[in-house]
Amino acid sequence: MPDGQSISRRVGELGKRVEVLAFSLWPEAYAIMIGNIAEILKPLPITEVPRSGPEIVGVMSVRGRLVTVLDLKQRFKLARTFSFDNRSRILLVDVRGEQIGLLVDEVLGVYRLADHEIEPPTVMGSEHPPYIIGIGHPLGGTVLMLLDLAPLFSSSMG
Amino acid sequence: MAENPNSGRSENAGDKAREEFFSEAQEIVDGLSRDLLSLDEVSRRGGSDAELVNDVFRAVHTLKGLSGLFGAAMMSGLSHELENLLDDLRLGRIELTSPVLDLLFQSVELYARILAAAKGDAPEPASEVKALLIALGQVSQQREGGGSVIARYELDPGLLGVLTEYEEHRLRTNLQLGLSLFRMRVHFPLSSIDSSLDDLKSKTRPLGEIITFLPTGEGGDTESVELEIFVASREALGTLRSVITGSNIVIEEVRHRDVTLSAPSAAAEGHAAPMSVQEHIDDAHSNRAPTAPPAAHLLGDAAFHLSHGVRASTNPDKRARADGELTLRSVTQTVRVDIRKLDSLMDIVSALAIVRSQVARLAERVRLEPGQSQLATDLHRLHRSFDRHLEQMQNGILEVRMVPLGQIFDKLARIVRQVSREYDKQVNLVITGAETEIDKLIVEELSDPLMHMIRNAIDHGIEDRDERMRVGKPPVGTIAVNAFQKGNHVVVEVEDDGKGIDPQLIVSTAVRRGILTDAEARESNEREILNLVFQPGFTTRNEATSLSGRGVGMDVVRTNIGKLGGVVDIASEIGIGTKMTIVLPITLAIISALLVEVCGRTFCMPLASVEEAIVFDETQVRTFEGREVMNQRGATLPLARLDKVFELDGVRPGVWNSDAFGAMPTPSAVRSGNKANQLGGYVVIAKVADRRVGFVVDRLIGQQDIVIKALGKTLEKVRGFAGATELDGQRVGLVIDAASLISEILSNTSDTRDIRDTRDARFADASAVAGSLPGSVSEGVYQPSRAT
Repeated sequence: MPDGQSISRRVGELGKRVEVLAFSLWPEAYAIMIGNIAEILKPLPITEVPRSGPEIVGVMSVRGRLVTVLDLKQRFKLARTFSFDNRSRILLVDVRGEQIGLLVDEVLGVYRLADHEIEPPTVMGSEHPPYIIGIGHPLGGTVLMLLDLAPLFSSSMG
Repeated sequence: MAENPNSGRSENAGDKAREEFFSEAQEIVDGLSRDLLSLDEVSRRGGSDAELVNDVFRAVHTLKGLSGLFGAAMMSGLSHELENLLDDLRLGRIELTSPVLDLLFQSVELYARILAAAKGDAPEPASEVKALLIALGQVSQQREGGGSVIARYELDPGLLGVLTEYEEHRLRTNLQLGLSLFRMRVHFPLSSIDSSLDDLKSKTRPLGEIITFLPTGEGGDTESVELEIFVASREALGTLRSVITGSNIVIEEVRHRDVTLSAPSAAAEGHAAPMSVQEHIDDAHSNRAPTAPPAAHLLGDAAFHLSHGVRASTNPDKRARADGELTLRSVTQTVRVDIRKLDSLMDIVSALAIVRSQVARLAERVRLEPGQSQLATDLHRLHRSFDRHLEQMQNGILEVRMVPLGQIFDKLARIVRQVSREYDKQVNLVITGAETEIDKLIVEELSDPLMHMIRNAIDHGIEDRDERMRVGKPPVGTIAVNAFQKGNHVVVEVEDDGKGIDPQLIVSTAVRRGILTDAEARESNEREILNLVFQPGFTTRNEATSLSGRGVGMDVVRTNIGKLGGVVDIASEIGIGTKMTIVLPITLAIISALLVEVCGRTFCMPLASVEEAIVFDETQVRTFEGREVMNQRGATLPLARLDKVFELDGVRPGVWNSDAFGAMPTPSAVRSGNKANQLGGYVVIAKVADRRVGFVVDRLIGQQDIVIKALGKTLEKVRGFAGATELDGQRVGLVIDAASLISEILSNTSDTRDIRDTRDARFADASAVAGSLPGSVSEGVYQPSRAT
């Protein structure tokens, strides 16, 4: 799994640029490597699943396939409830052989980050969560938390 | 992207062929197992069945061919040795004794394991195969001393060498039965050979069996041919000569080498077979092994018959050839389909079902339009026809998925044989209802639980022979496996006539192991006690045997059956026996469901487990040991309020109701309220096996056929749902797992005693929160355990 060093290395491999999709979990901004994103969806009807964890919004059907939707804001303790508006999006990502929907407040766009625009996660202290693999500072001035999905899910769902 | 487009495809084609190889091999192994069991039965009665041995031989031969094609070296090696052994059996060089049968059964077992290993499910049983190969080799060596009944006749060894194996086998069998062997020399004009031969055959057939036709190579000229015909018959030479007449026919009896003219008895077979015969057969083997021609496995023996050249087209090996043709034909008429393909077809059917209901709504709207009655009628007719065809299609797909339970019952017979020998108990397996059909996926998953139950029945149930005699039971125990369809369910019963289960023993064990407290033990009824055997870690045995009694098993049985949406129950009587009953849904692919609404959410309740739905009357609710129950036609019905079971009652903030989806989602707290009380609601009475629970819901929406899809891995620990399905308008409805909810709710009854203290505390909270809501006092009692 990539850590701070390896993402820099990857940047090197990819011709000094790494493409990420940035999104907001208000008030913060995060980004995921673009290769992890299967699709970006406008909100579909979601059915709540009783007895599931608080992070789980529910299940929805994407062209006949059942997708579990997660609330990352709950995960990151940014909000106790989620809300939708016309900027809300669901990012379909492939994790552990399953497609999962991540509910986000807004998609900010695709950034191509150069090596010098990425800080190692250690700047957040030595106890940084394992799913933060770096901090991006693209030209616009937004600070992006770069997420690695695998540790995010292995620690949340067990 | 200039990738070779063919590389991917050919790999897929290889995968497909490999999959077909697996399923074909599996089928053959299953068939092999069946044949061996029949053979076992025949031999235990002291008989023999040449055709069965032939079938087994053919099966192994086919496996050898298949595995050769697919480079499955281990299977190929085993098949080769096995083929030798079976050949010895066929040709009577060794006898079908119990140890030989054991080896054959072991091979079947190993085939299954090799197949599993090839699929990557298990490690290769290399050492076992090696051991078996050695054992097989030893048996083959023993045959060296064995003689042949044919050797005792005055037959030209060279002539014997050109007989096909099948012919040789028929010859041997007939001679062993004490028939006499006659040699006819017949001169046929080539112009009329067909009709003459037919004429001869029809005359001969009532008298005996024609073993073979062989051209003599003598006495013929360009216009005629001389055939040597061997006939086995009970008749005397004179009779034959008087019936089969003709100037061109000479009949003589083939005499014994020794002076005794009595029928040869098996015991007298001490002579060594002429070397030429042996050599011929050995040659035949080495020719075929190790690379059988691809056609050989389809044609079986027929392939070898063809190599014999001049031969009348109809002769005694016609049957063998016909078998080969049958195999070919069945290959062309059967299609093996990956079950996932059927699943995706079923998805399409369910999508069409949604279209159908939309068309129905459209038709209804048109009907209400003034002046559109013709259009409405047409649309309605169209909808009806669509409906009918869709149903046929759905049933068709379901039918394809169905397989007879007999598939796994065959395996059970093998287990019974093996386990009963290991425990030195005599057990008779009686199977009824093997033709009962059930979804392929369920059958696959059912085999392990059933195996466990059978092992338990033999180990713990059936007494040994002496004990049975002492209590006046038949010395051979019986395990009955009965399967039958009951509505939308399939019931499988496993019943033994053993010593039964002593509830006292269970109670004392359970108390000793801390599964049960003394107080609980006093309060439990017999059925609850018996059901303790399904508790994890429960065993009454102190020492574990290799097969059962390790305390794992019965809880796994219950879990596995539960995963299939089924339940297992147990009944027992001391000294009489034990009966376990499994109730399973017929299919998991598409089911009829009752759609209900609870707190604004839609849930699907599989109709198979719904007994009826009645109007809920709050005043009928009583509490019994802190549990809500109501009286329903004189029977006590435990109640479960789904809003409480699923904690829907505004407990969780931020839920997004599927119903409320629109431009602005409404928080559930606004919608939630105790509607069951305001509107009355309904009680949906669910029944799985004979356990019933009434689920209180707000509203009944209607009935719909649904395709269940599994919830993702992220949600796999959430209990109470069998999956979800797409309802109309892209909404997803959760499908309630009635079996698991019922057992959760009913088992929570006994839990009440354990956690009464904590519950009282929560109960106080609940009533404080619920405030003035009527009925809340009793509502607080049931708290589902959160499944994480």
